[in-house]
Amino acid sequence: MRLHTAPRPWRQAAAGYGFVGPALVILGAFLLYPIVYSLWLSFHEWDGYTPHWGPFVGLENYRALADDEVFWRAMLNSIVFVVVRTPLEVSLGFLLALLLNRRLAARSLMRTLFFVPVVMSLIVVTIIFQRVYEPNTGLLNTFLRGIGLGAWAHPWLGDPATALPAVIAVSVWKNVGFSLVILLAGLQSLPHDVLEAARVDGANAWQLTFRMITPLMRPILALTALLSIIGGLKVFDLIFIMTRGGPTYSTEVLATMLYREAFELNHMGVASAIAVILVAVVLSIARVQAFVLPESQEWGTG
Amino acid sequence: MSMVATTASVARAQRLVGHRARAGRGVLWAVLLVALALSIAPGLYMVSLSLMDNPQLFAGRLVPWPPHGENYPRAWVASNIGRLYWNSLYVTTVSMVVTVAISALAGYGLGRIRFAGRGLAYAIVLVGLTIPLQIALIPLFINLRTLGLLNTPLALIGPYTAFGLAFGTYIMKGFFEGLPRELEEAARLDGAGDFRIFAWVMLPLTRPALATVAIFLFLQNWNEFLFALTFVTEGRMRTLPTGIYALLSSEFYGNYPILAASLVLFSVPVLVLYFLFQREFIEGLTAGAVKH
Repeated sequence: MRLHTAPRPWRQAAAGYGFVGPALVILGAFLLYPIVYSLWLSFHEWDGYTPHWGPFVGLENYRALADDEVFWRAMLNSIVFVVVRTPLEVSLGFLLALLLNRRLAARSLMRTLFFVPVVMSLIVVTIIFQRVYEPNTGLLNTFLRGIGLGAWAHPWLGDPATALPAVIAVSVWKNVGFSLVILLAGLQSLPHDVLEAARVDGANAWQLTFRMITPLMRPILALTALLSIIGGLKVFDLIFIMTRGGPTYSTEVLATMLYREAFELNHMGVASAIAVILVAVVLSIARVQAFVLPESQEWGTG
Repeated sequence: MSMVATTASVARAQRLVGHRARAGRGVLWAVLLVALALSIAPGLYMVSLSLMDNPQLFAGRLVPWPPHGENYPRAWVASNIGRLYWNSLYVTTVSMVVTVAISALAGYGLGRIRFAGRGLAYAIVLVGLTIPLQIALIPLFINLRTLGLLNTPLALIGPYTAFGLAFGTYIMKGFFEGLPRELEEAARLDGAGDFRIFAWVMLPLTRPALATVAIFLFLQNWNEFLFALTFVTEGRMRTLPTGIYALLSSEFYGNYPILAASLVLFSVPVLVLYFLFQREFIEGLTAGAVKH
């Protein structure tokens, strides 16, 4: 910005820090300092109560995690959560966006309604779905019995085999509207003349969708996927309230394990190590995205 | 002769296309309506449950008839919702206002002033956008405890402000960058200083961005669960999400309709705001993804 013919660096710096200073102080206190603190704690053993943190144990907490079956279970579940949820969320969102991307009665009303789950509080959603999944009188089993599929009725959250898929389904349900809205905005910003030219040249709807629209949408599809992946790795409320990581760790993810280690078992060192690992995973994915997705580098971590 | 044949076959082809288009239209509507039903059914189920009594619930009914409206006053009293509303409103509003103000300042600084260290400052903001807040959970818990701030409004206002700042600054910076330079130069020629230009010339132009940020922060803080669960453990100071969560382990767990009524009471203000300001809500929640 060439605001001054003769720039005075110290004046610019004073003004700059005057404006940005308050934000930096707060981010420093609530973000940077905790990162350092967590890293520090992850090298110590501490129950969280003795006045000072316990002895320095080096990488012992990390080694303990590497030997802990529950940790690997949580890691695997976090990965499964993301690997199943993201493709569903993005593809369903894209399908609905494609369907809504035309002149259609009540289109904006539908967009509004599809977005309602995104606005609803996760705790409300979670408690409703607990009831939906309830084995005896819940909506899902009642519905299955009603249409003659009573044999499929199942204790969805009580069975380790179905608990994780059931939780993932809720997460997809909650977030499809988000992908839909982003992708619909993307579709509406595509160059109309190019698509029109293809139509005039005789491309049918199928070819138009898969040969033209999808490639043009690649960056925004990737961005939607990235947001979903990062959101999925951070997931906590949904699982904590719905299953508390159970039954028998079948839905335990990194974030719920962290909470349990810290505030139920008082293993502050181990919990901090989990936090550090979680951050490392999220930041490296955000970093990978900078290569895959040059257009939205700003979402990276600089 | 051949001309007629061609016309006939074109007409046939057009009829065929017309049929296919109508059939396609039918499939389109079917898919959309099923998806729509799936996305609103759970909400309707919640409302329906909130109007039942336990026998109706256990009979697996779907329609609450006769309706039990008295669940609502009972839920209001039982879950102390008035108190929870007040706590949530207080914490949410204060942190939202503070965050918006500080974000606007920082967004202006990063977007319109060149100074040494600007790149680093922006990098810190971007880290704040991506990083999971779990990293701060234990350190903040320990520090808040040391300072004796657990179970006070400050225990939530501080962290909410900090964790909304990155988003707010990111959006405001983008918006300030897009404003024309002439305005600023004119004001500078009139002798206005940096802060005057910011407050009187630029800030009033950013109203849409301010609304976006404010709505995003409001919703995020209104629904926040992890910090609220960890930093506020006493009933008196709880916000709505943890207050409702506490009902799950209370005597009301057995009385699901009362719980459902509490959930409806929790959701109504946000849904009313959403339907009034849909454009701003959708913009606010997706602004981080799609740049203006």
